[in-house]
Amino acid sequence: MDVLTVKNLSVSFYRESGEITAVKNVSFTLRAGEILVIMGDTGCGKSVLCKSIVKLLPDIAKIKTGQIYFQGKEITGYTEKEMQKLRGTSFSMVFQNPMTALNPCMSVGAQIAEAVRLRQPGISRKALRSRVMELLKLVGLDRPEERAGQYPVHFSGGMAQRCVIAIALAANPEILFADEPTTSLDAGMQAQILGLLLELREKLGMSMIFITHNPEVAVRMADRVALMRGGELYRIGDAEEIFEETIHNNH
Amino acid sequence: MRKPYITIIDELSKFALSLFLLSVLVFTMSRLAPGDPLYSYYGDRVEKMGTQEQEAARERLGLHAPIPVQYVQWMKGALHGDFGISYKYKTDVKEVIADRIGNTLLLGGLGFVIIFVLALLLGLFCAWREDKAADRVVCGIGTVTSCIPEFWLSLVLILVFAVWLGWLPSSGAYSVGMERNPADRGSHLILPLAVVVLGHLWYYAYLVRNRLLEETRADYVLLARMKGLSGKQVLYRHCLRNAMPSYLSMMAIALPHILGGTYVVETVFSYPGIGTLAYESARYQDYNLLMLVSLMTGGLVIFGNMLARIINVWIDPRMSLKSGGMSGEVREF
Repeated sequence: MDVLTVKNLSVSFYRESGEITAVKNVSFTLRAGEILVIMGDTGCGKSVLCKSIVKLLPDIAKIKTGQIYFQGKEITGYTEKEMQKLRGTSFSMVFQNPMTALNPCMSVGAQIAEAVRLRQPGISRKALRSRVMELLKLVGLDRPEERAGQYPVHFSGGMAQRCVIAIALAANPEILFADEPTTSLDAGMQAQILGLLLELREKLGMSMIFITHNPEVAVRMADRVALMRGGELYRIGDAEEIFEETIHNNH
Repeated sequence: MRKPYITIIDELSKFALSLFLLSVLVFTMSRLAPGDPLYSYYGDRVEKMGTQEQEAARERLGLHAPIPVQYVQWMKGALHGDFGISYKYKTDVKEVIADRIGNTLLLGGLGFVIIFVLALLLGLFCAWREDKAADRVVCGIGTVTSCIPEFWLSLVLILVFAVWLGWLPSSGAYSVGMERNPADRGSHLILPLAVVVLGHLWYYAYLVRNRLLEETRADYVLLARMKGLSGKQVLYRHCLRNAMPSYLSMMAIALPHILGGTYVVETVFSYPGIGTLAYESARYQDYNLLMLVSLMTGGLVIFGNMLARIINVWIDPRMSLKSGGMSGEVREF
């Protein structure tokens, strides 16, 4: 079953100097439980594509044409209110730089708790606390009791990224958007976080759109791969097939 | 981690050192400035006094010695709480100031509170409606009002509300014999207070607005939005929290600025406060009075800065890392 379908999506930035089309006529589907890696060079529009699906584009950017379907329902015309509900429950995102993605002035526990509370408004303090601990354990942070009270400055990049993932999981999302989640981390940490994401996919059965410019990461993560260049999605297919093809073309 | 009492001793010694340097500076400068303090004490009678009489008077007031000696004399008294007498009022300077300080605290303090709250609300409103019509109108009006000089605004307000409309009194802190009547005092406060608030408000509101807009472009806003928060909720719960340290430290520095910055307003409205007193004392070489007023104002400024630093560390966990403050410490969330 298809969780997400994107049809002929075009996104433009409108500036005083004119219109710049960042995403051109992109179509793809995301199947339940799979990891779709969107790969392309920096500036090819993969991040914009991601943000246009969750409708967190800056004010100057607009979806020009196309439709987005989530679980068979069209969400292209959703209002901000409806999108908020979707973001809090079905869509989650992990970002490139965990150190700036976390609010520096809020304890990590409070930031996770906020996400949990949005999903379960009437939750008791005790249940909230145990849910936060559960999430922290789920993403592999030891001593969660102590960790929850600390601030992002007290964390290394990898640990901070685990916290961002914990926040993303608080919603029990159907789709996790991972926007270059390991680019800012060193190699060892990168492998750990990728491992964690794969493990969580198994455990929670969510689908994932994984953005990267790094072929090695793509090989490790992908069930299917979509290749982007200059705002266009020019090739999509099973991971093996595409990597095979690329290797042939290069030799 | 440093022990709290060491921090306190550290801060206090810095405070004392700053005050000491300030006192040396003001003391020397006021005595080097042209003018004769005897005029302040005896008024025009000085001109009728002979040279000998003048010398005797100087000696009585302790003005004959070289400046360093005078300073030591003054310091000896000051350390025992004796700041000397005012040449103009012929009484202890502490009494002169005590008579007036309530008025200034009322005007400046009330002004500060109003500015603090309004600037925050206005800044939040503008940041929320960024670049929409409402934001632009408020920004436009704000910029214009903040450019109007205080003395001119005071005069216009006096002209309109006191002279033409006759609704409000034009000067003083109370009508004769109505010193204890709150309604009367209130009506005397409205115009000067309006000038104090209008003169400063936009500067701080604009600061809040811009700090918040800076924050709304930060990465963590996207994460917060992805949790399902609305733009407005993110502004209140996340951005405001990050903008608060700089706002609070700004306002801590603004405290003496606003409280002591009532000079012009007090003068135009003949409002009997510290501002008019400071102006007079500097103008008429009323040394002892000038010293105490300067030290009080200076102390307030230094205190404000200290407060700003403490507030920063308290709110923003990043600030305390250097001295080891909260690192590793667990806070209830």
